[in-house]
Amino acid sequence: MNLNIFFMNGYGLYVWSAFIFTFLACFILFFKTRKSLKKLENDFKTEVKELSTEQIETLKTRKISREILASQPKAK
Amino acid sequence: MFNFLNPSNFFVLFNKVSKSIKIIIVPLIIVALVFSLFASPGDYIQGDSVRIMYVHVPSAWIALICFSLIGFLTILNFLFKFKNALIIYKSLAPIGFTFCLISIVTGSVWGQPTWGTFWAWDARLTSMLILLVFYILFICSYKFVEDPNLSSKICAGISILGLSNLFIIKYSVNFWSTLHQPASVNILGKTSVHKSMLLPLSLMLLAFLLYCALIFLMKYRAEVIRMKKKGLKRL
Repeated sequence: MNLNIFFMNGYGLYVWSAFIFTFLACFILFFKTRKSLKKLENDFKTEVKELSTEQIETLKTRKISREILASQPKAK
Repeated sequence: MFNFLNPSNFFVLFNKVSKSIKIIIVPLIIVALVFSLFASPGDYIQGDSVRIMYVHVPSAWIALICFSLIGFLTILNFLFKFKNALIIYKSLAPIGFTFCLISIVTGSVWGQPTWGTFWAWDARLTSMLILLVFYILFICSYKFVEDPNLSSKICAGISILGLSNLFIIKYSVNFWSTLHQPASVNILGKTSVHKSMLLPLSLMLLAFLLYCALIFLMKYRAEVIRMKKKGLKRL
């Protein structure tokens, strides 16, 4: 197996570390954003459950609230 | 036009667009990585270290584009109290910050084999570091300043100063004698990068832009939900 494609004529350490850092930073941002979004969606739904039936009905007439309530969290 | 920019329309668009992005992005990243790491040729002077360009350059471009948009939107929000602008710039800032950090770190890693040092207080490098500081100040000003009016004023001030720094970043390589090379890719002028390197660069830029769109939509949705959550108490 030609290992030079990984060593890259001695520059492998620099190239791989730059790519790994880039994708690690992107993954961290993605998972952090997704986690906070899920938390906010769940908190919103929990708060809605505490509202009266009339308030929930009013909420369902609003486009955004209806859309948030319709989104289902993935089963763990 | 302004009806389209309404948060509720943006919000509904979220699911449709994010699903499409999620389908395209993974194969695109794989193709971009194969081209960047293996299929593209090495540089005749820099050798394989030139491959760092495929993550460094698109990151720097995205960091600059994000701050330009943020600057425009903060001024728009400050002058016209355009509600959607506030949500958009709050969603863009973390993306710009991440790519600015990536650009500085990968540039520093590229500097060691090319210039013999990880860091030099060169005009381009220093102005990019200043941009990172502006991003940090900007994020802190809307996260920690409770009064929305004061926060909007601070954000506008930081973005105006930051916008002037963008000109310094762009022209630093022309004004001063720097270690950093002048721009090789010009949209309007002549591009000195060979097609075999331009292809992976374009693929990686496209992959990063799609990734940014995905994060932006998620952040935007989170900001709108946060706003709606506050509104629940007033029902």
